[in-house]
Amino acid sequence: MSEFSEWFEQTFKKCYCEKGNLVDKERFSEIVQLVLDNEADEESMAIFEHKIRTCMQSSGKYQEEKELRECLNEKLAQFKKEIPNDLAQSIRQSINS
Amino acid sequence: MSEESRKKYTEQEKTEVFDSEFMPHVDSMYNFAYRLTFDEDDAKDLVQDTYLKAFRFINSFERGTNAKAWLFRILKNSFINEFRKKSKQPAKVDYNEVESYYNSDDVDANITTDLRVETVQHMIGDEISGALNAIPVDFRTVIILSDLEGFTYEEMAKILDIPIGTVRSRLHRARNMLREKLTSYAKEMGYN
Repeated sequence: MSEFSEWFEQTFKKCYCEKGNLVDKERFSEIVQLVLDNEADEESMAIFEHKIRTCMQSSGKYQEEKELRECLNEKLAQFKKEIPNDLAQSIRQSINS
Repeated sequence: MSEESRKKYTEQEKTEVFDSEFMPHVDSMYNFAYRLTFDEDDAKDLVQDTYLKAFRFINSFERGTNAKAWLFRILKNSFINEFRKKSKQPAKVDYNEVESYYNSDDVDANITTDLRVETVQHMIGDEISGALNAIPVDFRTVIILSDLEGFTYEEMAKILDIPIGTVRSRLHRARNMLREKLTSYAKEMGYN
């Protein structure tokens, strides 16, 4: 049981109606984020994966979130500041002084 | 293991730990500092200050543990305790107000999260980075730590001194805020 087991169980229930249809996409995106962050435990992951296999709406939302996350992270990673040439040297000087 | 119960490093060991465990993270540290301060000189000062503190307190670092998280924690504390006060760009947003607003139950109903992958694909890194920089620093920080630096929720909780549940919820709010900024930007630029 992980930190988020109970949270997952409660939140997952609220995402679906009695017939098992996805009714709260915003809440479901919170679940997806936990999954994409690799923070869901095994039991929660099994429940999630089963739903993804059996519910087209859930599967679609998951794919959408996953692709958006990958695209955003890829673009964010492109913007990297070059470190000043003398930074490492300045650090060494400051600890030796 | 506490500092008291662990043998202190010799001068040679200190240099070894510093070089092999701390210095490899200078690039990530500088980028984190720059994303907090938006100023090259300030970022450099903040990183130097962090490394100086890390060296002073090196005996409280246990070799082989997570040096990167340890350094990020020092940098974050330096930024909050000293740097933010004298920052050239003081915070324009009251963080407490923002946090309480974004932690209210009905807030997600007001957030536009219909950002599409196709829209983001049209954007360049600078535009997305600009949107990230436009969100309040405490929310920006969790995105940087998670999505750019790859820290786990547990590591982030330690770096930021917040409960792990708050890491999860803050990260979710932060990502929604970023998407909201990008959606507005896309509309302005006619990407949609």
